[in-house]
Amino acid sequence: MRILLDGFTKSFGPMTVIDKMTLEIRDGEMLALLGPSGCGKSTTLFAICGIHKISAGRILFGDRDVTNVASQQRNVGVVFQSYALYPHMTVAENIAFPLEVKKLKAAEIKRQVDQMAELVHIEELMKRRPAELSGGQQQRVALARALVRKPDVLLLDEPLANLDSKLRLEMRSEIRRLQLATGITAILVTHDQVEAMSMCDRIAIMNAGEIVQIATPGEMYRNPRTEFVAGFLGNPPIAFLHGVATSGGFASVGGEAIALPASVPLPPPGSKLTLGIRPEHFGPTGNIPIRGRISFIETQGRENLYDVTLPSGSMLRSIQPLRGDVALNEEIEWSIAGDRILVFDEHGTRL
Amino acid sequence: MTSNFRAWPVVLALSIVSAPLVLMYVYLLVDTVTSTAPGSLIPYEFTLRHWTFLWTPVPGRPDIWRVALNTLVFATASSAIVLSLSSTAGYVLSRLNVPFRRFFLAGVMVLHAFPSVTLIVAIFLVLQMVGLYNSLAGVILVKAALDMPLGIWIMKGFYDTVPWEIEMAGIQDGASRFTVWRRLVLPQVRPALLALGLFAFLSGWSEFILPQVLAPDNRVQVLSVYLAGLIADDNNFDMALFKSVGVFYVVPVILLFLFFQKHLMNIYGGGTKG
Amino acid sequence: MNSSKKLGLLLITPAAIVVVMLFLVPVVLTAVFAFTNMSTSTGISGGAYQISPNALQELRDHYDMPSVAERLSQSGFAVDEPGLAALGKAGIDADIVTELRGHIGETFAARRDAERAIRNLNHRPSLREVKQISDQFNRSIMNARYDSKAALLAAVASVMPNLSGAEHQAIIAASYTGWTWTTGNFRRMASIPGTQRSLVNTMVYVAFTLTLFNIGFAMVLAITTFYMPSRAAGFFRGVWLLPRISPPVIYVLLWKWLAWDTGFLSVFLGRFGIHSRNWMLDSGTNAWVFVVLINGFVGASMGMLIFSSALQAIPRPLLYASEVDGASRWQQIWHIIMPQLRWPILFVTCYQTLSLLTSFDLILLSTNGGPGGSTEVWALATYHTALNNYAGNLEYGYGAAMALVLVVVGVFLSLAYLRLFNYRDLVAKPLIEH
Ligand SMILES: Nc1ncnc2c1ncn2[C@@H]1O[C@H](COP(=O)(O)OP(=O)(O)O)[C@@H](O)[C@H]1O
Ligand SMILES: [Mg+2]
Repeated sequence: MRILLDGFTKSFGPMTVIDKMTLEIRDGEMLALLGPSGCGKSTTLFAICGIHKISAGRILFGDRDVTNVASQQRNVGVVFQSYALYPHMTVAENIAFPLEVKKLKAAEIKRQVDQMAELVHIEELMKRRPAELSGGQQQRVALARALVRKPDVLLLDEPLANLDSKLRLEMRSEIRRLQLATGITAILVTHDQVEAMSMCDRIAIMNAGEIVQIATPGEMYRNPRTEFVAGFLGNPPIAFLHGVATSGGFASVGGEAIALPASVPLPPPGSKLTLGIRPEHFGPTGNIPIRGRISFIETQGRENLYDVTLPSGSMLRSIQPLRGDVALNEEIEWSIAGDRILVFDEHGTRL
Repeated sequence: MTSNFRAWPVVLALSIVSAPLVLMYVYLLVDTVTSTAPGSLIPYEFTLRHWTFLWTPVPGRPDIWRVALNTLVFATASSAIVLSLSSTAGYVLSRLNVPFRRFFLAGVMVLHAFPSVTLIVAIFLVLQMVGLYNSLAGVILVKAALDMPLGIWIMKGFYDTVPWEIEMAGIQDGASRFTVWRRLVLPQVRPALLALGLFAFLSGWSEFILPQVLAPDNRVQVLSVYLAGLIADDNNFDMALFKSVGVFYVVPVILLFLFFQKHLMNIYGGGTKG
Repeated sequence: MNSSKKLGLLLITPAAIVVVMLFLVPVVLTAVFAFTNMSTSTGISGGAYQISPNALQELRDHYDMPSVAERLSQSGFAVDEPGLAALGKAGIDADIVTELRGHIGETFAARRDAERAIRNLNHRPSLREVKQISDQFNRSIMNARYDSKAALLAAVASVMPNLSGAEHQAIIAASYTGWTWTTGNFRRMASIPGTQRSLVNTMVYVAFTLTLFNIGFAMVLAITTFYMPSRAAGFFRGVWLLPRISPPVIYVLLWKWLAWDTGFLSVFLGRFGIHSRNWMLDSGTNAWVFVVLINGFVGASMGMLIFSSALQAIPRPLLYASEVDGASRWQQIWHIIMPQLRWPILFVTCYQTLSLLTSFDLILLSTNGGPGGSTEVWALATYHTALNNYAGNLEYGYGAAMALVLVVVGVFLSLAYLRLFNYRDLVAKPLIEH
């Protein structure tokens, strides 16, 4: 089901957390709401599921305006970060609860619960209580409970934050599998860009209550609209060089001069600029050579990450396949792929 | 505690200080089943004589079983009222958007500290006027009311510890707020209900001033009033009898306390009167 | 209105009603009753009208109507026509009636005088007849009870038909036996010495019990049990909770057993040649010692529990570190433990001050204010005034005035208590907004 937030505004007392946000989630897609902690992701989620009243604007589910509809009538499934399983009920009772409040027949409840359990692979856990389950199992139960009433939308608030890294990997694909299997429209709230990129059809990246950019993960990575987006996506992260525009190029604060491709519309010389250079675009191959000293080497297994300190003191990162020929503190001259440089003006807007 | 300090001097010192208390309670038990010669501290015989009050009423006093039943009714009913009103009101104050919520909260907090015994003169006169004087119903109602602010306060504290997500999940599952409370939240505070229920029961069982003032009649007498009357009667001084009645009266309290110590500690430590 | 609001109001209403009926109304009524002279003799509902000796006294002294009072008091027996007619009906010998007609207009102040006159009639009525006759001539309104003003005034008019309105009002007011409005309670409170005495007693009681036991000894218990092996600590905490969980009647009984003249102390000290006596009541000082001990033993346990849990919150490494640094136990207590107790002490002080100020059950049961009122605290004096005393005349109005003082103090202190503790944290808004 398509969901539309139209001019959604939320204030807590005098503090406006979200101001006139407009966001559309397409039918059947999984959208990530990505942003740093405190930017208003959960607030947005709570508005969609009806836990919060919104201060202004509208929320549409399909063509239905649900702005003033109570949570109970919105038919939204939510998986909370803490899973919020009912501790005094068994797994089976937990999953059955939404159907019980609908007053379905016992046999029908049992059939649907079993079906759900099979879907999320927890058939053998049905008699246990939440305290007797591992984090991943609890997560599956929470998913089952959220999906059992066949909601129009599935909301997931940081669903992986409480899992250890191995389980996180497993549940990442599991959640995506379930979403694809049910074809449900889903919103995933997360502050982890890897989760967002790996699980979702599109990402809406938020900062300080505003949506900065909405795009597919690949598009957003290649083509960030702002410095914030470029900095938020990518692991290892992008490196920034601060400086000013010159005619046809860029001069860093420390003096390095970098010629920029003609495709970039440069501001008048003297304006402040920031260059973003991803680690994979700085290395032995490239067209803009630059000298520096290797100040740190981090071995990541298949690849190495090098921190390169430029003479001016600025720093660039480079990621390269394992190589044994460079050592810490060695002076090197590597090159930047000029056409991949991201250029931002002084407000952080991409040029 | 830490092993760097020797513990025995402290244990010894505290033992000496606690001795009178232990002595009083030990003699309470011993004196009910023995006889001691005047001027002596050591009993000379074992006897059940002091317990005859169980089957032959003390002259001029109501039957002890009748009194015990009254006490049971009094304690049970007042704790049931406290429990039901506190578990609902506490939930409202903890979780629901009612008008004047801050006002209610401040009110409960003030009442929780407010010494309700100061109202006894007015309550006495009111009960006389409405015809509930000398009735169990009246004194039960008053006792429940006076214990209620504490109950609401405690229940609110416990509801506050139930994660919001549980309630949010319940709502998303389509349950009404009432169902959420009944089926999801109330089960989480069961230990609190048990503790508060017990506390209110014990508090009712022990209460003296209220029944003494509001329901002193033989028909509706409770054990505290019965025993106080017995002790105050100068014509019938029989310490062993007093103590036997006292043991009869206190044993349920001690048993409940021993069984549910952990639950009760929460409340006794958290600001009861006294 | 949304569903949460509706449910909230529904669930809180019963509690709110109870609070209003049994807290708010009594607070207000305490204030109302404080301005009345209600007592056992006035009753608490309305009263009747009765020309009692007291009423006459009041007419003389307060309304300056000695002649009216005089006349009312002499409204004795009168030989008159209605009486004679009634005698006829009652079947009294016609000769006697005829003879009495000769005495018409005569009055007698008392029954005795009237009956002597009747006995001396020439017809010599029998004793039974004398009684019957005097009854018919009884015109006295002294001590008769009238349920309404009208009945009273009718009776008065039969004796004194020509009274003015003001005189009627005075008679009504003076003869009314119910309660009336007055500010006299407070004037009386300000003037009698008992007031000052119970005030001083209350302060002594609160100050000693609070500092010595509810705080001081509670701290000793918390700190000593903190340093003990956990089994011993559990035992001592259990022992010191006994007074709190025991019903007050039994708990005080144990102290009486200890202190009475045939009790433990007397017998035990008797071994050393000390005379047996009632240690609790034989002198004011002893009574105070016991009152403070009895209340203190109960009060100590609350502080003990609260301080103990505060101590449990001290990070262990801090203690180990201080021991490694060579701190003595005293230094450890002073520098690490005491700072941790600051807030709990404030809490216990506030809480217990209020409850000590107003509680009186243990004193009532132990010394009952004695000997000679030396341990009569304000709350107990209130109880004795309004609810229970030997004289049997319960002064509800004055008692309410005394209670009002406590109520006012209680309201102020519990409001202060509200300010002191972080009320703000407790009122966080509900997260579910619908
Ligand atoms: N109930 C509330 N009352 C006041 N402020 C709130 C409330 N809930 C959230 N906020 C504020 O709104 C902002 C966004 O919070 P939230 O949506 O929880 O962020 P996140 O993106 O980490 O989920 C934060 O600054 C938070 O402090
Ligand atoms: Mg969040």
